[in-house]
Amino acid sequence: MLGLRAFVLRWSSLALLVAAWELAVVTRVADPQFVPALHDVARALLDLAFEKDLWEGLAVSTMRALVGLALGTAGGVLIGTLMATSARANAFLGPLVATTYSLPKASLVPLFLLWFGVGNTTNILTVFLATLLPVVVGTYQGVKSVPQVLVWSARALGTSPLAIVLRVQIPGALLPILTGVRVALGFSWVLTLSAEMIAAKTGIGKLIFVYGESGAYAYMFAGIGMILAVAYAADRLLVAITARLLHWNDGIAAHREGTA
Amino acid sequence: MTPQAVKSAPMPPSPWRNGISQAMCEALVRILRFLLPLALVVAGWAMLSASGLVRPIFLPSPLEVARQLAVLQEEGEILGPLWTSIYRAFAGLVLAVVVGVLAGLAMARSRLAYWGLDPLVALGFPAPKIAFMPIFILWFGIEDLSKILLVAFTCVFPLIVATWQGAIAVPRNFIWSARAMGTSEPQLLRKVIFPGTLVTIMSGIRVAVPVALITAFTAEMVAGGGGLGGQLMYAQRMLQTPTVFVYIVLMLLTGVVFDQVLLALRHRLVPWLAEDEL
Repeated sequence: MLGLRAFVLRWSSLALLVAAWELAVVTRVADPQFVPALHDVARALLDLAFEKDLWEGLAVSTMRALVGLALGTAGGVLIGTLMATSARANAFLGPLVATTYSLPKASLVPLFLLWFGVGNTTNILTVFLATLLPVVVGTYQGVKSVPQVLVWSARALGTSPLAIVLRVQIPGALLPILTGVRVALGFSWVLTLSAEMIAAKTGIGKLIFVYGESGAYAYMFAGIGMILAVAYAADRLLVAITARLLHWNDGIAAHREGTA
Repeated sequence: MTPQAVKSAPMPPSPWRNGISQAMCEALVRILRFLLPLALVVAGWAMLSASGLVRPIFLPSPLEVARQLAVLQEEGEILGPLWTSIYRAFAGLVLAVVVGVLAGLAMARSRLAYWGLDPLVALGFPAPKIAFMPIFILWFGIEDLSKILLVAFTCVFPLIVATWQGAIAVPRNFIWSARAMGTSEPQLLRKVIFPGTLVTIMSGIRVAVPVALITAFTAEMVAGGGGLGGQLMYAQRMLQTPTVFVYIVLMLLTGVVFDQVLLALRHRLVPWLAEDEL
């Protein structure tokens, strides 16, 4: 039961804070016009749970974030590996990556709106570009940090260049790649929501803005709470998957030590 | 991310090199090599728009964008919005640094503060803060304040974590020695722990500067209320594609300039640290 006690102790301050919020609104210390009471938000959430607006919005936004992230990860691993293994590719792509890294990718939304109109293409393309760069940087650093000895050994054993990339360099770079993917996952929610708030017909980002504009603040808070919960769960899931994959990785390392 | 090839690039023999120092010559070659890919992209863009395959309303030529920049500058639509955005980003950043450093130090030195703040940081750090924009608009309006506070809210978490990690990494021996010599807790914070944390605080700030700029621009695009982001959205609604390009390029340049400023500052402020230590 020690785990439970530690858990309760850890999160008790947050529970107190939430209780203080409810108390402040009920006693009218905080204006309910601006801060909906916790029980109103809970009621709104219950209400939304039986309607399709919230679930549809969440599903559409999650789809956009994850498709963009998947494309960005694939592209990022490809470009990062290319940059780490070819000096010529690095000389060309390095300056482009360095220059565009600090560009807010949301600034491209107006351009994509002109090109592709409102919809999934604009959203997913924005997420793709935002998630691409952290994965490129993670992959580049990871592949560079793989010991050259391993590459030479594989080559001496007659491994083809493609097999060296796929079976030596990318597996060896897995930790930095997945660290990049975790940053990219955070970006994917930010960019999905931003793009939806800027211009969209569907999605949770659009939904909470509509609630806000129509003065349904309890519903707005409930929607924001839901998107935060989904984003948090996705981050935890990725951390768990990373631990799983790297457990295998450490196992290989231990195996190698054992046979040496 | 300096290209590997650049470091080892052999200097071509040239007759005029004697006049200029080798270091200057190498720096020049490095800058040119950096600019070459960017020039190629712009050249590709110019060729695409000159070919007539894409209508100018979708892709104006680089020349047209440059001309539009001059027009906007004359109308006072460049520097004003730029300063508004930079002001919002840095007001928020300063707020985040002050709050983040205080909170991080408190978490490292007080169990009560750790108990109170740890769950907030654990939940707040990975959260997409832009989701709070409707709440910030409701509470603080659509002018400066809501944007400044959203920037501060976004940047405060990396700063809390950086400060906290730096403060708990201060060697125990330093703290014990200071205590043994009769140093009080406030003095200990000011003279031992804060200086020992400075390096990680600075790396936290380095992470936070681009985040502050990006958040300010994005918040302006979402909520309006002027600044480069607000102007950009306005231009898009009016279908003024050259203006859209001008503002995107300006945002890009702002990010690059501040990145370079930070790099230079780092060399000036902590020259004894190696490149990868900060």
